[in-house]
Amino acid sequence: MASTALKASSSLCVRPAQSQPKISGSRSVSLPINRKACPSLTSRRGLKICCAAKPETVDKVCKIVKKQLALPDDSSLSGESKFSALGADSLDTVEIVMGLEEEFGISVEEESAQAITTVQEAADMIEKLIEKKGA
Amino acid sequence: MKVPCCLFRNFSYVPPPPLVPVQLPSSGEAHLWYVVPDEVKDPSLLSQYMDILSPCEKENVLSFRGEGLKKAAVLARALVRTTIARYQINGHVNPGSLKFCKNKYGKPELHWEHDLGKPEHKVHFNLSHTSSLIACAIAVNSLIGIDVEDKQRKLKSNLVSFARRYFTPHEVKVLSSIQDPELQRQHFIKLWTLKESYVKALGRGFSAQPFKTFTIRIRESESGDICALNCLDNKAGITVECMDDPNRLSKNWEFATMELMGSHYAAVCMENSAAHQTDQGSYPMRLIVRKTIPFVKDELVS
Repeated sequence: MASTALKASSSLCVRPAQSQPKISGSRSVSLPINRKACPSLTSRRGLKICCAAKPETVDKVCKIVKKQLALPDDSSLSGESKFSALGADSLDTVEIVMGLEEEFGISVEEESAQAITTVQEAADMIEKLIEKKGA
Repeated sequence: MKVPCCLFRNFSYVPPPPLVPVQLPSSGEAHLWYVVPDEVKDPSLLSQYMDILSPCEKENVLSFRGEGLKKAAVLARALVRTTIARYQINGHVNPGSLKFCKNKYGKPELHWEHDLGKPEHKVHFNLSHTSSLIACAIAVNSLIGIDVEDKQRKLKSNLVSFARRYFTPHEVKVLSSIQDPELQRQHFIKLWTLKESYVKALGRGFSAQPFKTFTIRIRESESGDICALNCLDNKAGITVECMDDPNRLSKNWEFATMELMGSHYAAVCMENSAAHQTDQGSYPMRLIVRKTIPFVKDELVS
């Protein structure tokens, strides 16, 4: 039974076994996938079935993104910041993911790597992977 | 928005300036149109571009951070619309009236509501941009994909580590065998654009075709220099091999790689039509390259 997890409180993640990442249109890249049927991390439905990442994780992601995209330190990034809106193309996104792998000591599947579109999605995925690692 | 006072404006609508018409690409032919953002400075021109965008596209433009990115976003959509409008199938086509939709995987496509031309002339397009160049590829009745990258682009990570992580063993082997770091980097960028162009042509998204699932093989030129990829004659030397689906014949896809403006690498991938294949393989893709500033000027490059 799917449970409604409150933000940052529960460690129970109920997701379909096969993750269906949401891809939004980045500049030099393909193809937004509009799979409305699949629950995304930022789904607006009442059922929030994945835990949101800690602020520290989000901050670290922001730092890595700023570095990759050569943004000034004082540029304001938030969880909602979309990589493509910041000027990242697919190569940037993949490099960002590599940077995250190094920083957090995790390993991201290729399919997921090319599908992360926002800072929040990256942070959420990181924490899920860390948790899986520790389990 | 400035408008000559002799024109009557109804809800701010002003018809866009005319575009020089062009013939559709024939079978086995692709057209590449590109625009250089730095050469587009006139605010009223940018305004005209903005005018032909749909409300959805305008909203998307505004979601970009910074004027440079916004401008590139406007140019990209304006390039697609004006380019397709030039082909004037069924008479004059207003670039602002074109409608786009997404295929079931989310790839943008031209919407056929207006029944543009005979059914057998289906126009396919694909767009790619860097901050310094935006390109649009056009084909008829063939899937097409394009990717452009700045020649000077440097990776933050180590090239070979990156390749090991995301490319196939054959590709890593070829890349690692290049001694000169600069040539190696150039090869990497070209390979990246080729792989991207293939995935974009397929139109099913990265999840459906991660880079590790297919190999791009580049046949060496006569001199043995695997980096000599900058003339169109080398088209026949590039093939794709799918690791997971041997039934997907590599001869179904044609590649071309080239330099634009001496500053960018571009790769185009196009599906071969059945009519274009012989027992010996298919004819190489014909590519017509044009540089443009929509509504202002067009220049045939090759």
